[in-house]
Amino acid sequence: MDPLAPSPLDPSRLRRLQLAGVACGFTAGAWLGAAEAPTKMVVLGLSPVVISLAMVVGVFLARWSLPALLRGTTAIAADVRQAPHLVVWAILAGCLWAVANTLTIYAIKDIGLSVAFPLWNANSLLGILWGAVFFNELRGASWSRVVAVLGGAAVMCAGATLLAVASAAQAPAGHAARGVAAALAAGVLWGTMYIPYRKAYLTGMNPLAFVTFFTVGELGMMSALALADRGGATALLAELSGARDVLFWLLLGGFVWVVGDLFQQYAAKYVGISRGIPLSNTNQLWGLVWGLLVFGELRGGAGATYAQVIGGSLLMALGAALIALASATGAEHRRWQEAAAREGQRYGIDPAVVRAGLAGEGAAGPARRRTWLDWALVTGATAVFVGLGLVARVPDLRLGWGWVAGLAVAMLALLGGTGVLLWRTTRFN
Amino acid sequence: MTGRWSAMLRDAQFWVPIAVLVGGLLVLVWIR
Repeated sequence: MDPLAPSPLDPSRLRRLQLAGVACGFTAGAWLGAAEAPTKMVVLGLSPVVISLAMVVGVFLARWSLPALLRGTTAIAADVRQAPHLVVWAILAGCLWAVANTLTIYAIKDIGLSVAFPLWNANSLLGILWGAVFFNELRGASWSRVVAVLGGAAVMCAGATLLAVASAAQAPAGHAARGVAAALAAGVLWGTMYIPYRKAYLTGMNPLAFVTFFTVGELGMMSALALADRGGATALLAELSGARDVLFWLLLGGFVWVVGDLFQQYAAKYVGISRGIPLSNTNQLWGLVWGLLVFGELRGGAGATYAQVIGGSLLMALGAALIALASATGAEHRRWQEAAAREGQRYGIDPAVVRAGLAGEGAAGPARRRTWLDWALVTGATAVFVGLGLVARVPDLRLGWGWVAGLAVAMLALLGGTGVLLWRTTRFN
Repeated sequence: MTGRWSAMLRDAQFWVPIAVLVGGLLVLVWIR
């Protein structure tokens, strides 16, 4: 036996971490799916790129204030000092997200949601490939688990296709080749974005530290794209200023999205990207539930449409269940530890930090208190939301308020339950 | 340049997302 090989994780500890990771994947799906709901309150003719930018501003505020609240900037700075190079990876991942998100806007315009969505949803298959090739995911796993993950992802893609077909009101006439290229490119960008995620988490970085730098790339790239799209700062600012009475809803969408994304990050950390991405892709199911029940979409639709919705939902649920039940065993986790040790060696990171990160434990050190900077970040972000909320206009839409309340309760229950489980298991490490 | 930064530049995994980002930007320029 290699004396330098990492010692295997206690099986019961591994099971708890896997359970927390799977729960995070499902909770991520619920919150990411709900993020679209506030944006549906925006019915005026804003440019899609400007809508994206406004959401990303909400994302930026949430990504700096929530980690400050949950962990404190001192702890985040300590994380970064362990592996400062990961800041570059985080910014790179943020840039990938922003370009992919912009591409989807053009893909929907050119080929419609029903064709575009399945194309970029293939990102989960690419994530499985990168996870296996670069990070030893699914290595050492039994064939039944490999088949369950691959089959589950494929079944989810089929379900997503059915849901997307049902969701599309009409297929716009556009430029088919350009639309297909945009959707495929978005899938490749989003699938590849998980390489930096996994890299960071294998090396011991805390997800709450990673996202604060991820969002710098996200906001920087999105601002550059919006400036290019609108033809300069003056035009962009004029459009944003003209839309100030709806900015609250867009920022709120970004905030809800961040809550989902935080859970997605923990899922990527504890169950890997091969399982984490498909589980959080259940967001499409939740998006559809909001659309159907709250916004009354597809009302009066054909029977075939409802059959597609029911069939697609069942397929997505089946695929997610297959993946959730095929969590990593000790043999596979040891291969993850080997990949983590290789990363630690390559970048000269303290092996104790790498081991603690993968085991869901914090590196030893004194307890850190919140500083004035933490409270300033939280207060500043809250003030922006309150300020925009005061000037926000509530659009005249008929909403199913009973369903809003029911879904909000379900989301909060998932947030509370998974949050407590994650805290008890990892202390948000 | 310190060891970590040069290790990153020599890490083949680093160039995969860089290449994909450049490719994505090229597609964006093409479709607009």
